[in-house]
Amino acid sequence: MQTPKEIGGIQFGLMDPETYRDMSATKVITADTYDDDGYPIDMGLMDPRLGVIDPGLECRTCGQHSGSCNGHFGHIELAAPVIHVGFTKLIRRLLRSTCRECGRLALTEEERDEYRDNLVRAEELGNDPNDVLKSAVRQARKQSYCPHPDCGGVMHEIKHEKPTTYYEVQDVLAGDYSERIAEAMQPDPDDEDDEGTGPAELAEEVGVNVGRIQEIMSGEFRPKSETRKKLEKVLGVDLTEEDMNKLMPSDIRDWFEDIPDEDIEVIGVDPERSRPEWMILTVLPVPPVTARPSITLDNGQRSEDDLTHKLVDIIRINQRFMENREAGAPQLIIEDLWELLQYHVTTFIDNEISGTPPARHRSGRPLKTLSQRLKGKEGRFRGSLSGKRVNFSARTVISPDPTLSLNEVGVPDRVAKEMTQTLNVTERNVDEARQYVANGPEAHPGANYVRRPDGRRLKVTEKNCEELATKVEEGWEVNRHLVDGDIVVFNRQPSLHRMSIMAHEVVVMPYKTFRLNTTVCPPYNADFDGDEMNMHALQNEEARAEARVLMRVQEQMLSPRFGENIIGAIQDHISGTYLLTHENPHFSETQALDLLRATSVDELPAADGEENGGPYWTGRTVFSELLPDDLNLEFTSSAGDTVEIVDGQLVTGTIDEDAVGAFGGEIVDTLTKVYSETRARVFVNEVAALAMRAIMHFGFSLGIDDESIPQAADEMVDEAIGNAYERIEELIDTYETGELESLPGRTVDETLEMKIMQTLGKARDSAGEIAEDHFQEDNPAVIMARSGARGSMLNLTQMAGCVGQQAVRGERINRGYEDRTLSHYEPNDLSAEAHGFVENSYRGGLTPREFFFHAMGGREGLVDTAVRTSKSGYLQRRLINALSELEAQYDGTVRDTSDTIVQFEYGEDGTSPVKVSSNDDNPIDVEGIADRVLDAEFGSEEEKERFLGSREPPTNLSEYAGPGLNKAQGMEVESDD
Amino acid sequence: MVDVSQHKLVPEHTVLDDPDRVDEVLSEYNVSKTNLPKITVSDPALPDKAEPGDVIEITRDSRTTDRATVYRLVVE
Repeated sequence: MQTPKEIGGIQFGLMDPETYRDMSATKVITADTYDDDGYPIDMGLMDPRLGVIDPGLECRTCGQHSGSCNGHFGHIELAAPVIHVGFTKLIRRLLRSTCRECGRLALTEEERDEYRDNLVRAEELGNDPNDVLKSAVRQARKQSYCPHPDCGGVMHEIKHEKPTTYYEVQDVLAGDYSERIAEAMQPDPDDEDDEGTGPAELAEEVGVNVGRIQEIMSGEFRPKSETRKKLEKVLGVDLTEEDMNKLMPSDIRDWFEDIPDEDIEVIGVDPERSRPEWMILTVLPVPPVTARPSITLDNGQRSEDDLTHKLVDIIRINQRFMENREAGAPQLIIEDLWELLQYHVTTFIDNEISGTPPARHRSGRPLKTLSQRLKGKEGRFRGSLSGKRVNFSARTVISPDPTLSLNEVGVPDRVAKEMTQTLNVTERNVDEARQYVANGPEAHPGANYVRRPDGRRLKVTEKNCEELATKVEEGWEVNRHLVDGDIVVFNRQPSLHRMSIMAHEVVVMPYKTFRLNTTVCPPYNADFDGDEMNMHALQNEEARAEARVLMRVQEQMLSPRFGENIIGAIQDHISGTYLLTHENPHFSETQALDLLRATSVDELPAADGEENGGPYWTGRTVFSELLPDDLNLEFTSSAGDTVEIVDGQLVTGTIDEDAVGAFGGEIVDTLTKVYSETRARVFVNEVAALAMRAIMHFGFSLGIDDESIPQAADEMVDEAIGNAYERIEELIDTYETGELESLPGRTVDETLEMKIMQTLGKARDSAGEIAEDHFQEDNPAVIMARSGARGSMLNLTQMAGCVGQQAVRGERINRGYEDRTLSHYEPNDLSAEAHGFVENSYRGGLTPREFFFHAMGGREGLVDTAVRTSKSGYLQRRLINALSELEAQYDGTVRDTSDTIVQFEYGEDGTSPVKVSSNDDNPIDVEGIADRVLDAEFGSEEEKERFLGSREPPTNLSEYAGPGLNKAQGMEVESDD
Repeated sequence: MVDVSQHKLVPEHTVLDDPDRVDEVLSEYNVSKTNLPKITVSDPALPDKAEPGDVIEITRDSRTTDRATVYRLVVE
């Protein structure tokens, strides 16, 4: 049979046992695998007709060798039918909804047609067809008799004992029926009028003769079901008990054979492809040996696959079953063997059924059978089909390199020599191609393989490279090493958004790490504390073109999450631009040129003035060199001042996080949207370079002395905390005297806690303020906090002033010993220090007890992050799976794969967040866009004026008219509303 | 009883009575009725006369486009 190369569609259904037999290459009858000489036994589990795994051997079915032969199925004839575990639910459903007598569905024709229509409707509307099927079964199950008039058979309740046993629950005559009748005939002791029932009376009412009644009462005659029912009715007793009749798989198979095709449709089975009796196995397909290869261990011993072990078990039991039956063994033994066979077949299919002990290896390890191969993260679907390992990929540690452009990635030479790109040799590049081959696989821009036009692939080696190079002609393909300028895809896990995979241009470098420009850390969420990243070399021209146009880092400048830039200056870059522009320092010519030496600017503008006998340039002037000449912008900086850029010159303001930072720096954002991604990339590269030179010019460091505050300030902090302690003591006193008034909706205890927390919060804040007042403007920690480079004023006050209250679960620390946190305190001590208030600063140092409380608070944070990442990871996986089939169509709608509309216009407005200009006040900055269009359209102010229409000053104004003078209108406004 | 359909946060639901309008909508998006989003008849926002099979036009305020119009098919 020819294996299909392309799959057009897949149909699912059950398989006819006859098809199994037809497909089978051989019947398998012996449980042995290999004979003493190591040859596979005929009609054994390793029969050579089932395919070949040893190299050199020929397949007895198709004649091909291992590698090209996919293997062939065999079959085992089961001695008795067994249930397929995968279908136990469907089998139960069919047993419950069909009649045992006639096999038909226990629904009237009208009902059946209705459910069939509902099924079609559910499919149309995209509802779950299972709901309809379940309700059909529920309806059919209600019947106690077959509703078909020509049958009317009794429908017994079906009990399903998981996983594969079914019982029919029948009502039969109870063993003690005569006692029950006699008791019911006795007069009721509570009712004086009741005289009981005599045998004669009973005989009359039931309609049988008295002799028969006597016989029944003595237990000599078992009444037939009709008589029994009459007796029950007259006497008002229940004479039956439940009896469980086990349904053997063969009974079920016979039952299912009677179900007509029209009826199983309603149960959700397509009769074209599947018959319900095929859910009971009579033949077991044996997977080809290629699906269960045996491994030869180092000591020459063969180790068989788990599936083979399971098949051995099945064959052994199957044979024993047959032998016993032929020998006429008692029914009990036969049934036991049957159950054993069922167990082996069940575990062969699925070894993780609840209620069934898993089949184990000799070592005690559960066997990995068919279901286990498919299921779960490492299963065939998630592990081998949705995601698989790929060639042309590399992984190593990342490290920073500020000299690279943000579009580039530094690739170690040894990676570049392993990853290749296919070069199609043409008239124009034949010399180049020969050079690559001549360099061989060891020298850097070399080649690893060549492919001749006849399809033959040759490895380039040190020995043959010279000779091979001369043979390279047009039409050959050369797999050359990666060189500078090649495009590759770069990724860091977890890939949480599309910017986690971006395309970079290769720069081949020595040493072993991938090198990145530090400005691309935010989109990847990368740092250099040991992070590793993956690189993929693209293997065809379409992929390379697509990567270059759509995936390059500069094209990902704006994040679709919030529509602003995600790439920009970070950390030291921001400190650097802050130092450069905040106090607008002066630089001599040498200094100014040194600042700009890593940028493309090589000529200084006109000097800002003269000083100390030479010209000087200000920091803002130097920064302005990086801006486009026609940029106009005004915004508030993170440091709090107004930044004004007029015609590409920074007039006033500090350049900090809000101007050039990643996550929405105004200048980067505007450049990307108004100019181009390329302009923004150039700007970010140059800002990073300038900022590094600036921060190195000034020097920037942080030590423990930078957090010290004067003695006087320390005393003020102590006083502020002392005051808070006093207030808390007062609070506790009022609480203990019972005078504390509770806040609305809170108990007194809660009120006290809240007030203490408030007081301590205030104490820390005021300690912070005191500390803050004593820091100089040029304190490095202050510079970092103000500019947004790193850290906050809170971090600073904790270092210099007071660490503050430690909390677990949002409350003061309230755990540990009975009525106290630590044995160092009296029970029920409500004071601040007994509940985790740290009055010291990090610089001053914590007391042992404070340190302990601080560790309690810190641990909660660590646990929270650990829990959050795993929770949100799973949440994201489910969300992605739920939305993965939605697609924005060319007509602007969003639809799923069944063409059902989900949104009539993508996102209700059909706009992409990265393509829309917005500001804080308006989701869409219409005015800004209109202004820009007008500016671009009209060269001069007059032309623009003419287009917009002149605004004539109002004439003939009465002295009551004019802005702010219209008294009549003013009154109207007041009276209105 | 509060009539939720009159609540200010509930957008306007109108039944498309005119079959031509329904066809217009369906041909605009090139879909069959069953490919529209669904709304159950029991939904309190629906006008009383709405019946399964009807197409409902919902006009809601949008932060970005001012008004957004969507269509839904009434189902049981």
